[in-house]
Amino acid sequence: MIQFLIKRLIGLVFVVIGVTFITFIMGYFAPGDPIRTMLGEHFSPLLYAQLRHAYGLDLPWYEQYWNFLVHLAHFDFGYSFKTQGRPVWDILKDGVPVSMELALWALVVYLLIGVPVGIISALKANTWVDTLNMGIMLVLYAMPIFVFCVLVQVLIVFIDQETGAGWPVANWGEPWHYTWTDIQFKLAPVLVFGLAGAAYFARITRTSMLEVMRQDYIRTARAKGLPERAVIYRHALRNALIPLITVTGVTLGFTITGAFLIENIFNIPGIGTITVSSVLDRDYPVIQATTVLLAFGVVMGNLLADIAYTLVDPRIKLE
Amino acid sequence: MDMRDREIQPASPLIAPDTNLMVPAEPELLVETPGVIPEAEGPKERKPVSPLRESLRRLRRDKRAMVSLGVIIFMVLLSLLGPFIYQHLGGIYNSPDNGPIPATVYRTFYHQELSHQDELPSAQYWLGTDDLGRDILARLMQGLLVSISVAVLVEVIDITMGILVGVLAGYFGGWIDQVLARLTDIIFAFPGLLFIILLTGIFGTWADTTLSNVPIVGPNGNARLLLVSAALALVSWPLMARLVRGQTLQIKEQQFIEAARTAGSSNLKIIWRHIIPNLFSIVVVAATLDISNTIIGEASISLLGLGVQQPGSSLGLMISEASNAVDTHPWEVLVPSVTLAILVLAFSFLGDGLRDAFDPRTKD
Repeated sequence: MIQFLIKRLIGLVFVVIGVTFITFIMGYFAPGDPIRTMLGEHFSPLLYAQLRHAYGLDLPWYEQYWNFLVHLAHFDFGYSFKTQGRPVWDILKDGVPVSMELALWALVVYLLIGVPVGIISALKANTWVDTLNMGIMLVLYAMPIFVFCVLVQVLIVFIDQETGAGWPVANWGEPWHYTWTDIQFKLAPVLVFGLAGAAYFARITRTSMLEVMRQDYIRTARAKGLPERAVIYRHALRNALIPLITVTGVTLGFTITGAFLIENIFNIPGIGTITVSSVLDRDYPVIQATTVLLAFGVVMGNLLADIAYTLVDPRIKLE
Repeated sequence: MDMRDREIQPASPLIAPDTNLMVPAEPELLVETPGVIPEAEGPKERKPVSPLRESLRRLRRDKRAMVSLGVIIFMVLLSLLGPFIYQHLGGIYNSPDNGPIPATVYRTFYHQELSHQDELPSAQYWLGTDDLGRDILARLMQGLLVSISVAVLVEVIDITMGILVGVLAGYFGGWIDQVLARLTDIIFAFPGLLFIILLTGIFGTWADTTLSNVPIVGPNGNARLLLVSAALALVSWPLMARLVRGQTLQIKEQQFIEAARTAGSSNLKIIWRHIIPNLFSIVVVAATLDISNTIIGEASISLLGLGVQQPGSSLGLMISEASNAVDTHPWEVLVPSVTLAILVLAFSFLGDGLRDAFDPRTKD
C-alpha cells in the first residue's frame, strides 16, 4: 500500500509537471505581446519595460517556468493581464463555489438516478424494462451534453408559454442558497448535467451487477436457501458497487468539461465561464491557473478513488 | 468530444500504472483479432468464409447499425451535393433590399436577407431563416460539411499516428513505450476539451490571419478549423496508440508470428504483413466511435466561440447563436441541435454495431 502510494505520487508529480509545462509553454509561445495589448495603441517604452518586468516576462523561459512553479506551490497564481494588477485568485474565487455546487449536485443525481436504474436493468435483464431503460440511457449518454441542455431549454420555453409558469431558462441563483427562486434557477442545469452522467453510471452499474450475479458466491447464497432479497441486497449489490468508486473518480474529467458547456448554455457564472472568457481575452495567467487547478483535481480524484478501492475491497492489492 | 472521456478508464487500480501491460484504453473495445475468433457461430455445413466477410454479414443483419449507416450516407450526400441541388431548385427572388437575386445568392449560408429575419419554414427557405435572415437549411448543410470534414481529417491523423506509434511501442517496447505511457497519462489527467480550448484560444487569432489564405478551408471564417482539427487529433491519437499497442502485444505472441520469424521474415515485414492487417477491426471500431467524439468536440469548440467564425457555419456555432433567442425562436435552435444529435447517435450506433459484428462475444 505504502509502496503503491509512493509510486502513484511519483507518477502524479510527473503528470503535474507535464501539465504545468504544457500550459506554461503554450502561454509562452502564444502569438502577440500581452503587455502591448494591455497598454493599447499608445504607450511609453518605460511603462512597457516596467510592466514586462513586473510580470516577469523579461526573464528567460526556464526562469519564468521556475517562477511559475514556485508561485503555484504557494497557491499564488499571479496577476491578471486583462485587469491590470488584479490577482488571478480574485477573479476565480466567485466562480469556484458556483462550479463546485453545480458539480456536487450533479454527482448526487448521477448516483441517485444512475445506480438504481442500472440495478433495476440488471435484475430485469433482457426484459422490456431493461431495453427501455438502457435505450434511454444510451441516447442520453451518446448525445452531446449541450444539445441536451438546449432541448431542455426549448421544453421550458414551451411549458412557460403554455402555462405561463415563468420558469427561468438560464442563469444561476445565489450559490449555496436554496430559496424557491434559487431552486428554480438551479434545477434544470443540475438535472441535465446529472442525467447525462447518470446514463454512464447506469451502464456501468448494470454491467457490474450482471457480472456479480454470475459469480459462484451468488449461486452458493441461493443454494443455501437465502431469500432472493438478501441475495441481491446483501451479497450482490455490495460487490457490484465497488467499480463505481473508480468510475466516480474518472467522471471528474467529464464533470469538468461538461461544466464548461453547461455553464456556457445556461449562462452560469462558474469556473468554466471564467476560463472561456479569459481564453477569449487571452488572459494567460487566469487560463494557466484554471488549467492547472482542474488537471490537479482530476489527478487527485483518480488517486483517491484508487485508495478508496483498496479500502473497500481487501482482495485488491496494489503494488 | 471530450465529455466522452468518461468511457475510457485510465485508473484500473488492479494494475500498477507503471506496468500497464495489456491495459486497453477502452475495455469495451477489446476486439479479438479476426484470426482468433473461434468458429463457434453458425452451422457447420456452410462454406468457410473469411472472418471479415463473416463480420460484414453480421453487421448487415444489425438493423440499428444499418439504419445508422444509411443516415450517415444521407448526411454526407446532403453536405456535399445538397447546396447545389437546393440552389438549383430556387427561382429568382425580388428582394426589397438587393433587387432581383437568384437562388445561388439567397440560398447560400452567408447571404443576409434582412427583410426575412427569424422566419419559419417556407417555400423560399425550406427550414426558415435565422436572426440575420440567413437560410437555415443552407447553414445546416455547410455545418454538416464542416463536421464531417473535421471528422475525416482528425481520423486520418488519429489512425496514422495511432498505428505508427502503437505498433512500434507494442512490438519493440523500450523508450517509445515509455514515452507513450507517460503521454497517455498526461492526456488522461488533462481534460481533452480544456486542452483544445487552450490551444484554439491562444492560437486562434493567429490562425485567423495566417490560415485564411489557404484555399478551400481558409475563407469564410473556417481558418480555425485546421487548428481545431489538429488539437482534436492531438488529444485522441495517444488513446488510439494505446489501444493498438495492447492489440499488438497480443498478436505478437501468436504462433503465426513465430512461424513468420522462423521462416526468416524481417521485423518490418512481420509488422507490415502480419500485425497491421490484424489491427484492422480494432482500429475501424475505435475510429468510428471516436468520430462522434470528434464531431461533438468541434461543435463544442465552435459553440464556445473558439472554432468556426462568422460568417461561416458550424452546427455548434448555429446552436450558440440561436440559443440566445431560445425563448422567442426555439425553432432556430432545434434544427441544428436535433441534426447534431442524430449525426452523433448514428456514428455511435454504427460503432457499437461494428464492435458487435467484429467480436460477437463482447455483446452481453
